[in-house]
Order: sequence, then structure tokens, then C-alpha cells
Amino acid sequence: MVYSEECAIIFRLKGILEFACQLDNPNAGSQSQSTISKSFQGLRSKVSSKNIVFTVCNSPILIWPNTGFQSSMESLTEASACGDILQYIESDDGGSKKTLKKKDKKRSGHTVVNLKLLFEVTDPAGNEAPSLIRVDTQQHCVKMPLHLDCVLSVTTEESLASVCTGLVETLRKQLAEMEEVVQRYRKGSSFLVPQPFHFQLPEPAGLTTVIYPAGVPDSQLQAIREDLHRKFELPSDRPYLRRANAFHFPDVAYKDGYLRNPHIHLNPPNIEDAKLYLVQGVYIYHHYMQDRVDDDGWGCAYRSLQTICSWFQQQGYVETAVPTHTQIQQALVDVGDKEPRFVGSRQWIGSIEVQVVLNQLLGVTSKILFVSQGSELATKGRELANHFQTEGTPVMIGGGVLAHTILGVAWSENSGQIRFLILDPHYTGGEDLQTITDKGWCGWKGPEFWDQNAYYNLCLPQRPKTI
Amino acid sequence: MGRSYFVDETVEKYLGGLLADPGSCVTGFLAGQSSPQRDFVVLAVQTPQRESEGQLKSSRGSGPLDDIDVEWVTEHARQVSRMLPGGLCILGLFLVTPPELSKDAQNTLKRLIFAMDKCISKGRLWELTEEDVTDRVTLHICSKTKKTVCKTLDVKDPKSSAKPADWKYQTCVSSSWPMLTCSVEVDLQIPLTGSSSDNTDKCMKDCLTRWAKQIEAGNCLISGRQALDDSELISAQKKNLKTTHRQTFPARILVSDPELDERSSALVQLCSGSVRVRGVVHCRAYIHNNKPKARHAVQAIKRDIINTVSSRVEMFLEDLLISEGSRKGLCTGQQALPRRVFAPMPFSGLSVCDYMFPDESTADVADRLKEMLDWETPEEDIDISLESNQLFSPELEMTDSHSDDSRKHVISEVQVENPHIHKAPQYYAGVAVAATIALLATATSLLYFSE
Repeated sequence: MVYSEECAIIFRLKGILEFACQLDNPNAGSQSQSTISKSFQGLRSKVSSKNIVFTVCNSPILIWPNTGFQSSMESLTEASACGDILQYIESDDGGSKKTLKKKDKKRSGHTVVNLKLLFEVTDPAGNEAPSLIRVDTQQHCVKMPLHLDCVLSVTTEESLASVCTGLVETLRKQLAEMEEVVQRYRKGSSFLVPQPFHFQLPEPAGLTTVIYPAGVPDSQLQAIREDLHRKFELPSDRPYLRRANAFHFPDVAYKDGYLRNPHIHLNPPNIEDAKLYLVQGVYIYHHYMQDRVDDDGWGCAYRSLQTICSWFQQQGYVETAVPTHTQIQQALVDVGDKEPRFVGSRQWIGSIEVQVVLNQLLGVTSKILFVSQGSELATKGRELANHFQTEGTPVMIGGGVLAHTILGVAWSENSGQIRFLILDPHYTGGEDLQTITDKGWCGWKGPEFWDQNAYYNLCLPQRPKTI
Repeated sequence: MGRSYFVDETVEKYLGGLLADPGSCVTGFLAGQSSPQRDFVVLAVQTPQRESEGQLKSSRGSGPLDDIDVEWVTEHARQVSRMLPGGLCILGLFLVTPPELSKDAQNTLKRLIFAMDKCISKGRLWELTEEDVTDRVTLHICSKTKKTVCKTLDVKDPKSSAKPADWKYQTCVSSSWPMLTCSVEVDLQIPLTGSSSDNTDKCMKDCLTRWAKQIEAGNCLISGRQALDDSELISAQKKNLKTTHRQTFPARILVSDPELDERSSALVQLCSGSVRVRGVVHCRAYIHNNKPKARHAVQAIKRDIINTVSSRVEMFLEDLLISEGSRKGLCTGQQALPRRVFAPMPFSGLSVCDYMFPDESTADVADRLKEMLDWETPEEDIDISLESNQLFSPELEMTDSHSDDSRKHVISEVQVENPHIHKAPQYYAGVAVAATIALLATATSLLYFSE
């Protein structure tokens, strides 16, 4: 993925607004519709009111965007560059209260400023003492939390005032889109909660937010995605807008503890004239000893297969979890490829088994590439380059007594020089990025890496043509 | 090391001036503010006489100590605690006895303290924190020798014994206590499930409790600054050593809607109706000036916000019970909750508050203040300007549009009737809730209700 150079800061505003309404008769179509509309109108007014406050997380900054821009910091006015906010933000990893460093720009090139939406209750319009108003009609009372999540990509020079106006506009727009989703999916008194997802789409769309109804699986949202693919002029054969494709904010840690895409931390090899052809998207590094499974010495192909399965899961092609060794073995038994006693054994598998399992569990087809000698792999530059360009999936390679995953090639069409980006499943340590990259568990290797005399089979998984 | 109570000398004067019939006892409460290091007492008020003729008192005990009406004493304390702004609370009780009863005084005080704490904490919508002081002070005064014995009891631990405490008189204990103020907009929509009025009360209490948690969790700004850490309320540069006037700090409260459970569909309840509480409440809190921490001031104002809303709703419902005579529950339409008015506290210069129903006047408030605080307040000193009278407007947004017509009809009906018939002092109404059953059973004539 290529991030636009211009967008240096992403402002992310999150907050919860409770949607509430009373319906006399939930099955009376247009009447309920207009009641729901009125409630959403009320929420839109609320975010345009002078009572909303943005608080910048991990900082003492408070901003009232709708009252002629009030801020709790004298040095931050409406004309200040929004980049000035960064110096007031405390970084998350402990540190003293005086940290003034700008957040490190990670490889992604984005700095994220998190804001929270609050409402002031102490600046009322009048001072009328409270009343109690009772209504005695039987009604259906509907309540649901709307988790607002708005993003705005700007350059550091953009003024704070324009950022705040932009965020308020985005809030209103998000509420309107949420209303649309709520109305569309409502059945009588059953309301589905609208949830925002952010996607990094190719320019000019950029970081885009889509609202999906909770509880409706991706498979049932095909038509919505088709419309959006048309709207954003996205290719119609690969997923961009499945929930799994949601943009991962650089400041949010993954909850599962696995490493993703360790290869991005490597420097590419220095070959004259060579172009890089790499895996596209996100995969998880699976290796020996993970998940408390001791597969040291026999599980390398299983781990490579897990890495490939993770790719299909992360790109949104499948919703199922990455299979365990046992599930992989069971799949092979289920198709009749292996005897039942295979399950629970420590028997190796090869590329063919990988192909079979990918088909059985994920519905993914794969091409098999055979080389009779390891030395021949050096000549497969064009084919591998093509694979990474069109399919972009990780490749499992088995031969000799080892299995590995190929994540890409650096190949010169002129000189034929080639290097292979290898992800090694034989690593037995913890999820330590430093060790993995330093010691070459994920690294660039030359053609001499392969056993020159052994034969190899490569499994090249093909992307399903679906969105 | 026991607790130290710094007591305003006006309290000393008041206690010294109490007249007790020979052989009888006088009870009363002590109010002020507790802080982790020390406590401040700014007010003492004796329990008012129970004005009842032919009150059937079962003389089970032998003597004045047993005759002390625990319920009456605690009810007085409960009603007064509603009149105290944020930061101030009932700190304990005093008991004046003739010398021959002194030895039993401590037991009586212990009984009273625990009963009172239970009574006061019943309607509370916020939880005590670890920093809250749970010691209550008991002061025993011998009517002949004027000797005082001061002890504290920990209401958290009913088995604990009284610990000795220091009782020191000082001048002008609270004259420079800073005051926080704010006006808070309240708009709560409460769906009512089920139709009994017990159910209504529970729905309202649940909703108010949730709202209280929202307020407690909110960000608070005092004079534009957030109290983020253990900072002091008054920073060094702002301290004006020569100041004799009270500093006022405006507070601002920022809240976010509560995080409900992760769910993929909305919560839908079939309701028999709904109640909406809507309007603006004016809030005040005081904080002692012995290096107060900002967060204690924040806690005081937040609790005042919560208390003022829950007190009025409670009072309204209690009043409804009395005037309706039976559990008919709330009628439909808009009804005004009592307005908060402020008056100067006896002696100390702080303020107390009271709640005025729409059909009442400042004269009624003055009567109540006399009743509850044993203090004459000139009517012009009662500030009724902070909250204005409710407007009865049909434009209030409610439900589906088709019910517009019926709603207007309902409201105009209500305006014609006046649900607030009673003119009796607030105190009596509250006590009658508890005593109604007993009184009705004994068929004593209800002298304090006017029709």
C-alpha cells in the first residue's frame, strides 16, 4: 500500500452518542421512519451545538469547536497549525510528563492524533428549573449506542479551526450515514447497530469510512460492496471493503500478539537494475513452537501453510481462523488424502498437501510449480515476479527436507540476478522483531540458499476473484 | 491519634445557649466538612420539638434517654442534609444530658449515629470512595457542668468502639472557604416498564443512578483548568493572602454518553410510558481552605449536582404520596419539580439551600428554615433568582408526531388542576411518609394537613 506523502496527520475522533426513540407502532412503516429520522436529526443538532468538546487524548487540551473556537490552551488558537498539538501529547510508553517529542513517524508515515468527543453540561441556554414530564402511552423504547469514529487526514500546516470544522462536518455526515443503515436494516422493532470501518483506498479516495450493520456477515453485504467498488472505481476482482480490510491505525497494538509483515523492516538487497516484487497486504508470521504446539522438526510446512491462511484471513477472503496442525491433518483425512491415524501424528506435509488443504478449508486454488533442481530456482524470476504482481500471495516452497515461505523476489530482467525474500518457519523463539530480522529468520537470500541438487515444489495460491 | 475537629466559635455559643428542661435531654446534629487530615464544624442545630398532641408514646423505657425519638432525630438530619450544598454534610450528633444520665449518653449517641447514617445514605446515588471519612462525631454535653466529651464512631464498622477526638473552637472557620458554582442542564428520558408505581420509582432510580455515574466519570474544569493530578485547588500564584472575601470558582463539567454493552442490535423495551426530567439546576460546593486538593473540590461539586437532582425528584414523589393519599403515581403531563433557592447559613456566611414548590413563597421557605435550622432568615435574604420558574410549553419534543394533539390536551388539563395542595412545611411531609401507616392505624387526626 502506498500512502500519500501529503497526509501527515490523521485526526481520529471517537465518541459515543446514545440513540433513543419511542415508537408507538414499530410496524407502521413511514411513521416509525419519521420518528427515527427526528431522533437522528436531534443527534446531528447535538454535534453542531456549542456544547460539544473535543479532548485530545493523553494531553490537557480541550477544544470547543462550535463556540467560535475556544481552547483550553492559550497557545493554541484557531489559526495555529494543527501540527502544534503534537508537542502537548504525552507518549503512551510511560515517560515523564515533560515529553515534548513529536511522535515518531513510523514506516507508514502517519501520525495519529486521537480525540474524544465530550459534551458540556454546564453551559445551559436558560436557567429554568427542572420539570417532570410524563407520557402514558404504550410505546417501544429503543436505545442503542452509536460508536462514532471519524477520521480526517490533513497536513501539519492545516489550521486547527479548519480541522475542527472538518471533524464536525464528518460527525454530521457519519450520523446521516448511520441513519441510512439503521433505516435500511430495521425490521419492525429490531434495529441493527451501525458500525464505522475505515479503509485506506487508492487515491483519490484515500482514507474512507463505511458504515456496516453489526451482526450482518460480509457475505451478505456483497451488493453494498459492489456499489462502493463502482463508486470508488476499485477493481472488481479483489476485496478492499471487507471488515478484515479495515485500516490498521499505527498507534493501536494488535491484540493477538503475533507479528505482522516483519519484512517491511528489512532493507532491500542491493542489486543493480532489480525491481522488487513483494507479497501484497498483510500476513502473520507463523513459526515453530507458537501457540504452545511443539512442532520443532516436523511442522515447518504446516507453519508456512498457516502463514498463507493468515493472508487470506487478513485480506478478508475468509472469516475462519487460521487452522491448527490438527485441523490441517483432519482436512487431509476428510478429502481422503490421508489415513485417519494421520491426525495427531508428526508426519510432514508437502506442497501438494498445502494445495489440498487450501482448497478444502478455504476454497482457494493453487498452482504448483516444480523444479527438478534447486539451482533452477534462479531461473524462475519471471514467474515469481508475475505471481507477486498479479496474485501477491505468499508462496510455500518445499524440497530437500525443508519448507519455507517466499514473500517476494528482487529480480533484474536484464541481468537475471535474483534474491528471494524468505520467511523461515523453523524459528523457535518468541515474537521478537529485532531477533527475527537481525538473525535472518525473515530475510533476503541468494540462489545459493537452496539445496542445488534437490527437487522443489512450490505452491502458489491464487486469489479468488471476489470482492 | 484521634481526629481533630475545628469548630467555629459561633457553634460554641449556640451549644452554650441551649435550654434543656431539667432532667430532659436535647439532641441535635453537627454539620461541616471532613478532610483526610482534619474536620471542620460550622453548624449545630437542635432537633425541633415534635409538635404533636396526644402523640402516643409507648413509655417502654425508663427515662428521657429512651424517650428520644430516634426516627425523629434521624429524619431531621436527613431533611437537613438535603439543605446542605456540596462539600458540607452532617458530621455527627450532639446530646445534652443532665449529669445523672451522662453514663448512658454514649450508648444513646451510638444508636443515633448509626441510625442516622443509615437514613441519610439510603437515597444516595453515588458511592463513597476510599478517601471519604467514615468517622462521625459524637459530642456529649453535661447540662450542669457544661463539660463536653467528644468521640468518633466509624460508621463503616458497627462493632467498633468510640475513639476519643479533639474538639477545638476557632474563629471564622469557614469565612474564606472557596465556593464552586455551576449550572447544569439535565435532560433524562426514562422509559417506564411495567405499570405499578413501585416500578416507576425503580425505573427512575435506575436511570438517575446511571446519570449520576456519567457525572462522576465526567471531566471537570475549575476556572478553566482540568484537575488532572494531585494538584492543589488554589495554585501558589493565585493565593491572595490578604483576601477576606470568598473566592468563587466556576466549574464546568464535560461528559460522554455511557458505554453500554457490546451489542449488535438495539435494546428495545415495551414501555407503558416514559418520564422525562428536564431543566437546569444550579449547584454549589464549598471546600475548606487548608490546602485543598482540586480533586476533592471536583468531587464536592459533582456530588452536589447529583444530590440536587435526586433530592428534588425524591421530594416530589414524597409530596405526591402525601397529597394523593395513595399510590396513584405520577399523572401525565408536565409537572414542576421544586426550585432550588439559597439562604445564608446561620452564623457562618456559607449558604444553605431549600426547595420551593411552585405554590410556595419565600415566606414558606423562611418558615422551614426556622423549623429545620432554628434560625430566623429575613425573606429578602432568600435568593430565588438562580433557578427560574418552569415554563409550560407544548413544544417540548416527545414522541411520535401523531400524538401532538393529545399531548397538548393533557398539558392544558394539568395546568388547570393544581396537584400541589399541601402547604405544610416540607419537614412534616417527609416524616409523614414514614409514619403514615402508624398514624392512620391509630386514627390520630392529621393536624398538619390542610385541604
